[in-house]
Order: sequence, then C-alpha cells, then structure tokens
Amino acid sequence: MLKYVLRRFVYMVITLWVIITATFFLMKLLPGNPFGEAAAKMPPENLAILKAQYGLDKPEWQQYLKYLGNVVKGDLGVSYQFPTRTVVEVIKQSFPASLELGIESLALSVIVGLTLGIIAALRHNKWQDYSSMFIALIGISIPSFVVAPLLSLYVGNKWGILPPGLWEGPENRILPAIALAFGTIAILARMMRASMLEVASLDYIKTAKSKGLATGKIVVSHMLRNAILPIVTILGPIAVNVITGTLVVESVFVIPGLGYQFVSSITTLDYTMITGLTIFYAAILIVVMFLTDIVYGLVDPRIRMSGRR
Amino acid sequence: MGKPILEVNNLRVSFKMYAGEVQAVRGVSFTLDKGEVLAIVGESGCGKSVTAQTIMRLIPSPPSYIKEGSSILFDGKHEISKMSESQMQNIRGNEMGMIFQDPMTSLNPTMTVGAQISEGILKHQKKSKSEAMKRASELLTLVGMSNADERLHQYPHELSGGMRQRVMIALSLACNPKLLIADEPTTALDVTIQAQIIDLLRDIQEKTETSIILITHDLGVVAEMAHKVIVMYAGKVVERGTLEDIFYNPRHPYTWGLLRSVPRLDSDKNAELDSIPGTPPDLYAPPVGCAFAARCPYAMKVCKEIDPEHFHVNDGHSAACWLNHPEAPEVEMPVGIGRGAHG
Amino acid sequence: MDMISKDQFQPAEKTTNANSIVRPSLTYWQDAWRRLRSNKMAMTGLIVLVIMTLLAIFAPLFSKFDYETQYLMDTDLKPSWTHFFGTDDFGRDLWTRVWWGTRISLFIGLVAATLDLVIGVLYGGISAYFGGKVDNVMQRVIEIIYSIPLLLLAIILIVFMGPGIKSIIIAYAITGWVGTARLVRGQILLLKEQEFVLAARTLGAKPSRIILQHLIPNVIGLIVVQITFIVPLAIFFESFLSFIGVGIRPPMASLGNLINDGAHYMRYQPHRIIYPTIVFSMILLSFNILGDGLRDALDPKMRK
Repeated sequence: MLKYVLRRFVYMVITLWVIITATFFLMKLLPGNPFGEAAAKMPPENLAILKAQYGLDKPEWQQYLKYLGNVVKGDLGVSYQFPTRTVVEVIKQSFPASLELGIESLALSVIVGLTLGIIAALRHNKWQDYSSMFIALIGISIPSFVVAPLLSLYVGNKWGILPPGLWEGPENRILPAIALAFGTIAILARMMRASMLEVASLDYIKTAKSKGLATGKIVVSHMLRNAILPIVTILGPIAVNVITGTLVVESVFVIPGLGYQFVSSITTLDYTMITGLTIFYAAILIVVMFLTDIVYGLVDPRIRMSGRR
Repeated sequence: MGKPILEVNNLRVSFKMYAGEVQAVRGVSFTLDKGEVLAIVGESGCGKSVTAQTIMRLIPSPPSYIKEGSSILFDGKHEISKMSESQMQNIRGNEMGMIFQDPMTSLNPTMTVGAQISEGILKHQKKSKSEAMKRASELLTLVGMSNADERLHQYPHELSGGMRQRVMIALSLACNPKLLIADEPTTALDVTIQAQIIDLLRDIQEKTETSIILITHDLGVVAEMAHKVIVMYAGKVVERGTLEDIFYNPRHPYTWGLLRSVPRLDSDKNAELDSIPGTPPDLYAPPVGCAFAARCPYAMKVCKEIDPEHFHVNDGHSAACWLNHPEAPEVEMPVGIGRGAHG
Repeated sequence: MDMISKDQFQPAEKTTNANSIVRPSLTYWQDAWRRLRSNKMAMTGLIVLVIMTLLAIFAPLFSKFDYETQYLMDTDLKPSWTHFFGTDDFGRDLWTRVWWGTRISLFIGLVAATLDLVIGVLYGGISAYFGGKVDNVMQRVIEIIYSIPLLLLAIILIVFMGPGIKSIIIAYAITGWVGTARLVRGQILLLKEQEFVLAARTLGAKPSRIILQHLIPNVIGLIVVQITFIVPLAIFFESFLSFIGVGIRPPMASLGNLINDGAHYMRYQPHRIIYPTIVFSMILLSFNILGDGLRDALDPKMRK
C-alpha cells in the first residue's frame, strides 16, 4: 500500500510541476511588458527599477526558479489589472462560496445519480431502466451553461419559485446546485448502471444466491460494494466537471465565487490572475485525484494488501 | 441405499432468446437416493449445468423457463418447479448446497472468507454472529484447512485456487444440506489439486452421507466417486446405469466416444487418443431423429428419422440407441473400452 | 416401435455434415447496419442530425439577411414571419445567426474531432504496437497529461493565443486526444496477440504496413463509435469557451456565444436564448443517441 501511495504521490508532484512550468513559459510568451498598460508610459529608469524589484533583469532560468519557489511557498503573484490585490487574497475571499456550491452539488449528484443507476440496473430492460437512462441521456447532452440560464429564467424569474440569482440564504443554493449537478448525475447514473449489471453477471452473485440469501440482501452486501468500486475512480474527472461547471453557473447566478472571478479575469485579460487561478484549480483537482486513488486503494482489499493495481 | 432424495421427471428447460427458443434440456429424468453420488457427464453445452442449476432454480427467469409437465421432487415433499422465489430461498443453502466451477470468481473479492461462510448460517439458523463464525471455523477445519481461525479473516485473493475451492466446499456444507450439487468442481484446478479436492469430497460424502450430484466431463473424476452415472447429449439422457455398467458395458456410441477420449496407463503408448468428430447440434432447432446421428459412425437410416427411446439393458441400465434394438446389426464395441480392457 | 422395417437398419449414407447448420451469414457492416436501422432512437438521432446539418448549410444561403449586418431600426424584434427567430439588440436576424452559428459549431466539432482522432489513433497505435519500453514511456506521458485538467489548459492556451476558430481547434487538438489514444491502445493490444498479425509479422511485413493494413481496419468500428462521442465533445468545448468569453467573439456567431448573449437578455427577450438552446441541445442529444446506438450495433460481443 505504501508503495502504491508513493507512486501516486510522485505522479501528483510531476503533474503540478508540468503545469507550473507551462504557465511560466506562457507568461514569457506574452507580448509587451509584464506590468500592464500603466507601465508602458513610465520612464525607462523607473521601469528598470520595477523590473529589478521583480527580478526580471536576471537570466530566465533564475526567474523560473524564483517563480517555482514562490509558487511552492504559496505566493501566486499580484493581479495584472489591480496591482494592489494578490491572487491569494482573491482566492481566500471567493473560494469558500465555490467550495460550498461544489460540495452541495456533488452530494446531490452522488445521491441522485447512484440511485438512478441502481434502479435502472435492478429493473434492467423495464420502464424504470428506460426512463432513468433517458434522464441520464438528457443530462449528458445538455450542459450546465444551457441548464443554468433556463433554470434561472423559468424557475427564478417567470414562476418565481426560487431566487434567480445571488448568494444570500439557503434558498439561493438550490438552483445553482441543481444546474451544476445535472451533468454529473447523468454520468454517475450511467456508470453505476453499467457497473451494477457487470457485477450482477459475476459468479459470486450466483454463489450468494445458492446460499439462499434474499435478493435485497444480495444487492446490499454483495453487489453495491463491488459495483461502487469503479465509480470511485471517476470521482477525479467528476471533480473536473464540477469545477469547470462553477465557472458557468456562478456567472449565470451572479455568485461571488472563484469561478465568477476567473471568468471576469478572462474578460479583463488579467493574465497573472488567470495563471494564478489556473494553478490553484489544477492543484485542487490533482489533489482530489490523488485522494480518490488512495480511497480506491483503501476500499479494494486486493490493492490494499499488495500495493499493485 | 435408502429412499430417494431427488426425483426428476421429464425436465424440460428452454431459453427464450432474441433469435428464438433454445431447448437446453429436453426431457431429463433420474432418481437420486439418499447417500448416493450421481454423476452427470457430457460435453460442454449438453445441458448438464442447466439441469443442475435448475434443480436449485439458480437460472434467472426470464430468459429461462421450466416447461409444463416437468417435475423436480425434492425430499419427497418439495415440488421445486412450482416453488416461489421466497420458498426457494429457504431451501437453497439450507437443504441444498452448490459448489461452482471456478473458485477464482465464485467468491466475493471484497468480503472475508469467514463472512462469506457465516452468511448462509445466519440466514438459515438461529445463531449469533460469533456462533456462526465458530461454525465457519469448524467447517474450514473439516475441509482440511489449517489455522482456520486466522483464515476466517482472510480475503479470497490471499488464498490459492485449491484453498478457495475448499472454502467453497465449506460454504456449501454450512447448514448440513441433504443434497450437494458440484458443478465441475475440479475443472478449473491444477491436476494435483484436483485429486485432493476429489479425495476431500469423497471423505465428506462418506462422513456426512450427503447425496451428491456431480457434474463433470472428466471420467476420471466419475470413476473416483460416483455410484450411478447418466450420460447427457444435446439436452437428453442417452445412457444411464451404475458406474460398472457405464465403464464395463457401455451401450451407446456416444458413451464409447467419451470413454475412448480418456488416456489410460494400460493402453498402448503410441495409440492416438480418439476424439468425437463434429460438434453438438444447434439447440435452436434440434434434429428430428437421434441428435447424435450426424456424428455417429454407426448411424442407420432409422436414426435420422426417429428419436430412439431408452432400451432396457438390465436393472437400472438403459441406453437410447437403435443399436440395442433386436433388429439392429451386431456392432463390435471399439477396442480399448468395455470388459476387455479392464478384465 | 417394433413395427420398424428391417431395411431401416441399413447404414445411413453420410450426406449431411454435422457442422452444416448455418444461419444466413452477414458481413460485419451489413449486420451492424441492420441492427442500427432497427434501433428507432438511434435512427431518429441520425435523421435529426442530417436535418440540422442541411439547415446549417442552406438556411444562411437562402435567408434575406446575413449574420452580421446590423439593422438598428429592427432591434429586439420578437419572432415573426420576416424574422423566424426574432432579432437581437443590433437588429441582426437570429434565424440566420443561429444557423450560421450551428455551421461554425459543427465545423469546429468536425475539424477538432478529426485532429483528435488522427493524433489519438497514431499515438495509441504506436504505443500499443511497439509495446515494451516505448509503450511504457508513452503511457507515463499520457498518465501525466490525463491528470491535467484539460479545459483549464485550453482556457489559458486560448487566452494567450487570442480567441478565434483557429485557437479553439489548436487547443482542442493539443488536449483532447488522450481519451482516444487510450481506447485505441487497449483495442490494439487485444488484436496484436491474434494470429493474423503474427502471421503478417512472420512474413516480414513492415510495422507501418501492419498498423495501417491490419490493425487500423480492425479498430474502425471502435473509431466510428468514438467519432459520435468526440464530435459533440468538441462542440461542447467550443460552446463552453464561447460562453465564458474566450471562444468565438461577436459579430461572428456560434451556438455558445449566442447562448451566452441570450442569457444576458433572457429576462426580457426569452426568444434570444430559447432558439440557440434548442438547436444546441438537439444536436448534442442526437449525437449521443446515435453514439449509443452505434456502440450497440457494432459491438460484436452483443452479436446474436
């Protein structure tokens, strides 16, 4: 198990390093000077002082090492457009809302998605199966940037059931969470159904039946655990889904989260903010994937014991 | 031998598939007495596994159907073919146990051995968890596993194939069933392990006097432990008899073929092993006459037109082959089988 | 029973072959097409896609308006017989813009998917074919790329390259092929152990020839299914980027930026978001239904 964790950890570090390096060189490719419009009008002496202050007069490899060191220390630089704000400040301010929204929608999608998948598999080729899978198909085909505006427009504005936007009380959470969960529910339902059907065809289910166990008992103690195992592996990609979804959903529902920040820094071309937030997002996702790998190792005794996959 | 534990009468099982109806079992009858071992032999696809699993009603329906007129009478009082699923659940694992072919896949990989054995005990007997575990430990000792108490907490992947099959046997014996069905119990194992498992099964059978139905295509296994044998081909019984009848006086060319395809120490080293040419017929549309006629070297005109009924040879020995008809020509049994070779 | 005449016991002539019972044999593609045709859902998807494609090609051609000319007298009109889908805040005809946008989205989807396939098939094919060390290194690379969130990578690539059709296609091509490569590799690893490849190799065929002549044709089924899943993915990719403002910029139309635009005005002019949304969702839904149908039709394991 230790070997397995170490291997995953090494991958995690390499991936992070690749991303940080990539963003550094993208920044270097940028035309013009790194201090934005205001600096273009500065006298050259002042610009030189500024450059020295940020270490930009040094050779590129030294700059790169410094950048790498800063990122490791948790310094992601200052905003290109508003030099008084650091990227880390912005993250501290707006990440909590995004995290809350993400967790709420993830909980919603796991509950609804797995339930749909299990129902579909247990009622294979019956109407429950067909309707669950039709819902899932719609969920896969209609992305959050379509669902979110429609929910806001109809449920929020036209019918006035729930607030169409903003981030105040619990009632503000419902529509964004649904919009964000829509696609994830579909992925989970399809995957869970396939996994359940696969497990149902395995020999040990027949063994369980030959012991005289009731169908419900077989489903709970033999099928579910083994069917959920592969689901754990797609939690990483699902986290990606949720995070990219927040970009859209927060913009549509005007939620003061990190996704909203990210999209507005794209519109204002705030380069340092964009790269800083990208590194932050990437780090979260990579850590999530690392953790799901570990969880997978823990729930599957075959990996827990041998350390192999 | 005492009273019958199982009487199967005219059992017919079909699968409704996309392309039509597959008649997997076409009128099988046999009787198993208490304490007796009955072997069902035949090639893969001959319906022996379907027969066995139908006795425990393990094949999902749909797509499988037990047809009208079939009867499976268990212990003189339970008509299996008419039982509801919940009635079956009280019989499965309790009065009947089953051993499957591949011990690598027939145990749940994410559950400890102890949990898997005690599950059935908890279902059928009024025992606490610790009592069930204690029983599971006794069972593991019974099937010849050392350190039983430690084994209880192991997962299947920590055990070898032979060990897993022992666990499987312990699991099937958990509630002292009256009938044990072993569906190819040695096929997936190494040859040396096969012998151990057969010895174990025979020991247990002698100790507990459980009745066993042994499904196999390995005649060596049959010779080791069966009392009675039925030979199946294309969903039908083609020959039945005692172990001696089948080995020393077989009366069906298919049985001859099976016997000749087994290597023997006493035969000429250079003699080639015989195989039966061709493949079994398509059970979407079973042939009109004898199902074996197309592959039978002795086929006569009648064989392709009328399906033979069983011809009585002696008490308990019969064969469904026209060669046993008084009008049929005398046919020499192939060399190397029957009385000559063993006598 | 005893009434059977003696001559019935004459040996039978060996006329029929035991193996002669055959069902009519269909080629792989005939069989797949037969099964796809009987799948009503998938056929509906196929027909919807054909209609959408035709509209995307011809609707802008036969429209009285073009997608970018502004008619400042006719702003914010509701749908009518002159403007089927209404007009936007610059008086541009939305019927034309929606189908123009569909054309752009489909174009980007097809080109990006083609690149994805070419790179994925080559990478996966080479990795699987050579195996050993080559495969090992190539798989480690994939493993790292796989754990980089691709949409984010694409966003920063486009931010730095500047928005536009070309940037979107490049960004997708750089990031999208990993899934295809994995799939193709898995399939080829299976095939490669089979006799016909071994035979070709024994006869001294060159690796490139074996890959192109023997392996690729055998993964075609897989690739056909994969296409129906990548094209909508690429369309989604374009629309997502356009929606958050790094994709296609107005006055050029794409389904993504039309939906984004519509979202800003939807409170007062719902028609601005409804039509592009319907077209977009129908395209994605049809692709997915068709893909599911194709997968069922082409999967030889399900063949009965």
